[in-house]
Amino acid sequence: MTAAAISKVSGRDADFGAAPIALMLLVPITIVNLIGFVLPVANLAILSVSEVRSSGAMTGGWSMAKWLLVATDPFYWELLWNSVRTSLVITALTLAVSYPIALYLHRSTGLWRNALLVMVISPLLLSAVVRTYGWIAILSDQGLVNQGLMALGASEPVRLMFNLTGVTIGLTEILMPYMIVALLAGLGRLDPRVEEAAATLGAPPWRVFVRIVLPLSLPGIALGSLLTFVLAISSFITPKLLGGGRVFLLATEVYDQAMVTLDWPLAATLSIIVLLVFGVALALYGRILRSIG
Amino acid sequence: MMHQAPTDMTVAAAGPRAGQGYLSLQGLTKRYHDFLAVEAIDLDVAQGEFVALLGPSGCGKTTTLRMIAGLVPTSGGRIVVAGQDLTAVPPHKRDMGLVFQSYALFPHMTIAQNVAFGLEMRRLPRMEIAARVAEAVAMVRLEGREDRRPAQLSGGQQQRVALARALVVRPSILLFDEPLSNLDAKLREEMRSEIREIQQRLGTTALFVTHDQDEALTMSDRIVVMSHGRIEQIGRPEDLYERPATPFVARFVGRTNRFTGNAHGTTIRLGDLAVRAATQRSGPVEVMIRPHRVALAAAGCVPADGLNSVTGIVRRTTYSGDFVQYLVDADGLTFMVEEATVGHGRIAPAGTAVTLTWAPADTLVYEAAP
Ligand SMILES: Nc1ncnc2c1ncn2[C@@H]1O[C@H](COP(=O)(O)OP(=O)(O)O)[C@@H](O)[C@H]1O
Ligand SMILES: [Mg+2]
Repeated sequence: MTAAAISKVSGRDADFGAAPIALMLLVPITIVNLIGFVLPVANLAILSVSEVRSSGAMTGGWSMAKWLLVATDPFYWELLWNSVRTSLVITALTLAVSYPIALYLHRSTGLWRNALLVMVISPLLLSAVVRTYGWIAILSDQGLVNQGLMALGASEPVRLMFNLTGVTIGLTEILMPYMIVALLAGLGRLDPRVEEAAATLGAPPWRVFVRIVLPLSLPGIALGSLLTFVLAISSFITPKLLGGGRVFLLATEVYDQAMVTLDWPLAATLSIIVLLVFGVALALYGRILRSIG
Repeated sequence: MMHQAPTDMTVAAAGPRAGQGYLSLQGLTKRYHDFLAVEAIDLDVAQGEFVALLGPSGCGKTTTLRMIAGLVPTSGGRIVVAGQDLTAVPPHKRDMGLVFQSYALFPHMTIAQNVAFGLEMRRLPRMEIAARVAEAVAMVRLEGREDRRPAQLSGGQQQRVALARALVVRPSILLFDEPLSNLDAKLREEMRSEIREIQQRLGTTALFVTHDQDEALTMSDRIVVMSHGRIEQIGRPEDLYERPATPFVARFVGRTNRFTGNAHGTTIRLGDLAVRAATQRSGPVEVMIRPHRVALAAAGCVPADGLNSVTGIVRRTTYSGDFVQYLVDADGLTFMVEEATVGHGRIAPAGTAVTLTWAPADTLVYEAAP
């Protein structure tokens, strides 16, 4: 046998050795996922087609009643549309305020950069509940903003809470760290030399931004937007507290049906719909990534 | 071995008069906090000239180039091109082509889009852009690869795209920052002559930063040797090689024998040895002799009149194809001698007794470093 043939054979042996190890490493996460995700989802799916009495007790039989209700009652369509639209608005706002911060962070260096990174990430160490109460202190009728406005001569407080405005403001701020971190990861591709090359070729700063910086940060934008959208549409504490029961979104409705009305099959049906929205968002993300190349 | 007639060390290097160059750097300075990266550089480059900035890593070459391109603000001095002061002009209005060490191609654009970028910034009509991109791509021999992405090309091909991208806008000055240092040796040599050929054909003024003396010697009309942010010498390749102005240049450009000694007029004592130079000096000096300037003959040969002559024993002989290098022990000193192998029949093995001869003009004498 020639040397080349020998090395080929041993190379193939190495491949055979590598595959089982990779599979073995996947075993724990597969088990965790089965127990923590697949089983509960299957459980929800079963629950959503379970028959219940008006008391809430299960009969043990099957029923499509909740799916039919959700499909035919315009309230639930509006709920879905409201949730998607609000989450999209929150995503767009989060992107708009996070992008300049991420770009600035990407360009800063040394101690200053580390200090800024800590400032960006540290809110994640605080529970969303606490941060939401912080926003209540700012946005309520007696809050900081309205006190300021009254001091400036406003006759009536501006309604910033118990409506979509408050929910949008609160969630935008709460989700910013995720967006900034995702954008930063995406900006890693942006070599300052490439921007300089564009400048020496005659591109003024705004054209460098449009032709170079923005296209190269698209993967980060896509990832950050996916993350923010998914977190926004599934968040429930902030809409609950800042919405004060007057803002109806999918996640809050799931909670109300499960914990207040005790209509578990309906809660399960709505949960599965949230999951379907995730699926659509993920598919869209995949398509965008592929079109970016 | 032939010797050139002794030449005057003060022969003026070719090049425009001070302040008269197409590109003129006047007292160009860069300070980082209290560190002087570039210290009051004066340089004039004629139109169409190819000038290399040569020096060890960290001597301020890149900083100088980036100041010229407008990517780094200056701390002092002026940058003048064609009589126009560009010192405060932003980079996108300087009309210079810069080729980066890392190529810095636009990863999200095709080769054609990369090359077209500068023309689009100049808002040229579509037809003209297409024609000029095709021409530039052909010039760097990348036809058929216009629709690839940079990541799909080899290092050498990426380098040629970077060159085409900078050339296609017909910049007033082409700036290169060690563009060949990421290529393998063979490709590097090909690219040297390719870059030089294209530059000459287009008549573009070029400033080429490198730390590779071969690159500087083979490509340039003139070389600027830099050290610690300052210019050590400006001259044609042969000026630097044969008449290095400072010990630094002698050491940095080409190989050299280095001795320390004491000068009395044209005679210099190197330990037990007395050699002659063409210039008058007195006091402690540093002496450099180029190994290829020393001739090696069998011991006992009577040297021609006026030549320095030293007898010694060959300690080591190294054959490297186009020349043979000898280490010769003579009177407590070790001489490095290099002889071209062309037309040279016999190679002296280690242990051979030999006579070394060289002209006084080839004894380069410098004041000893304090
Ligand atoms: N942004 C900077 N801040 C501080 N010092 C710098 C900076 N850029 C370069 N320097 C210093 O200036 C000197 C010259 O650098 P450079 O021009 O890159 O050298 P070269 O290109 O000749 O290797 C080096 O000592 C380098 O450390
Ligand atoms: Mg450099």
